[in-house]
Amino acid sequence: MLKKRLVAVIVVKDGRAVQSFGYRRYLPLGRPEILASNLDRWGCDEILVLCIDRGRQGLGPDIGLLKRLASMRLSTPLIYGGGVMTAEQAALVVHHGADRVCIDFALHQDDVQPIREMAVRLGAQALIGVFPLARLGTGLQWLDHRNGVSRAFSRENIALFDQGVISEAMIIDWSHEGCAGAFDIQLVTRFPMHNVPLIAFGGISEPSQAAVLLSLPQVSAVAVGNFLNYTELAAQRFKQQLPDLLLRPTTYSRYV
Amino acid sequence: MSKLLVGLIDYGAGNLASVRHGLLHIGFNCRISNDPVVLSTCDLLLLPGVGAFRPAMQALKASGLDAFLVQQAGLQRPLLGLCLGMQLLTESSEEGGLTEGLGLIPGRVIHFGNRRWHIGWNSLDCVSKDLMFEHSSSETYYFNHSYYYDGPREFQMCTATFGEPFAAIIRRQKIIGIQFHPEKSQDAGRRLLKHMIEGLCHA
Repeated sequence: MLKKRLVAVIVVKDGRAVQSFGYRRYLPLGRPEILASNLDRWGCDEILVLCIDRGRQGLGPDIGLLKRLASMRLSTPLIYGGGVMTAEQAALVVHHGADRVCIDFALHQDDVQPIREMAVRLGAQALIGVFPLARLGTGLQWLDHRNGVSRAFSRENIALFDQGVISEAMIIDWSHEGCAGAFDIQLVTRFPMHNVPLIAFGGISEPSQAAVLLSLPQVSAVAVGNFLNYTELAAQRFKQQLPDLLLRPTTYSRYV
Repeated sequence: MSKLLVGLIDYGAGNLASVRHGLLHIGFNCRISNDPVVLSTCDLLLLPGVGAFRPAMQALKASGLDAFLVQQAGLQRPLLGLCLGMQLLTESSEEGGLTEGLGLIPGRVIHFGNRRWHIGWNSLDCVSKDLMFEHSSSETYYFNHSYYYDGPREFQMCTATFGEPFAAIIRRQKIIGIQFHPEKSQDAGRRLLKHMIEGLCHA
């Protein structure tokens, strides 16, 4: 049976892993590759490295970081996000060790053809759409971090999912990101694209909260950032408190 | 005893870094190349792959590696295909329009249909009596694909269930295809990969 996943997130800014609070304040945590090595050993289901400044500054993906991550010989599936705007860049990211690619700012472009080209080259299963969301009245507002402007979803975005160009959507509760137990579940229940597997991220710190989210049929994974980075074996402890049937059993790395 | 040498086929459509580091970690030597002369010296050839079938097959043909792989299989050189690399071993795929594969294992690759894609960790059921796969039953591995193998049961060694069972490992003599990513399946994947490479090379 296909399991739901616990995704460990490493937020990277200026090449350093940081603890992020609502994408407004940052505390340094250290080298991303060291954190990734820990999370790999702790048996997370996927590791997401999210470079939050690459897209804003037009720097493209951080290939140097991907090379350093590859040298750590990770055996956990790696998702990379940050600065990927073209199919060429997406292919390069995969070539250097990522299994899947997050698409963020490219979704805001009027021309979504580069995303379609990524799907042709890598397959839809490799693509995750990233949506920093907040609730406004009964609807959802989607934030463009580059300019701080929020807007509703476009018809083009919805078509990308309907046509199977992107396989999953990651919903980021950006305003609650870094706040314990604060993820707004209505971002999931009100998400307008139905039949799209969702990854919930931002303010998820408690296993009980993750269990509620994972019990929703549209949620394929929960992503946890800051809260997994401080304690030895944090991922195993988190998973042990979740229902067995939903997730892959907790593992402890023994391979030497 | 000297380490086995795995030839990692570089045809521009692979997750070479992940596979190379995985192989080194479990104690194999590894040579990345698209040169048949270099690859011919290896104990086993490994065809990785992330991406779509059609451009990958075009890349193999453009480099002449398609003919080389068929020739090597004829010479009983052990060959292992991972994920897209497994699909390329078959006769054809419907991904991006019907495209001919290497034809080393009878069967074709078809889309999941309404189920669309299979992403995440899933467990295996061994459906053959092949001892090489026996210990993998009920272990979980990482899958990430939209198309799957549809072919004769005699080549299906292990299945996974996604709505209904589909082939997760296929084998024909010294050729094995693995639909999931053992190199990204933590300890269980590394054990399987090591066991399989040693088993194929010493068969």
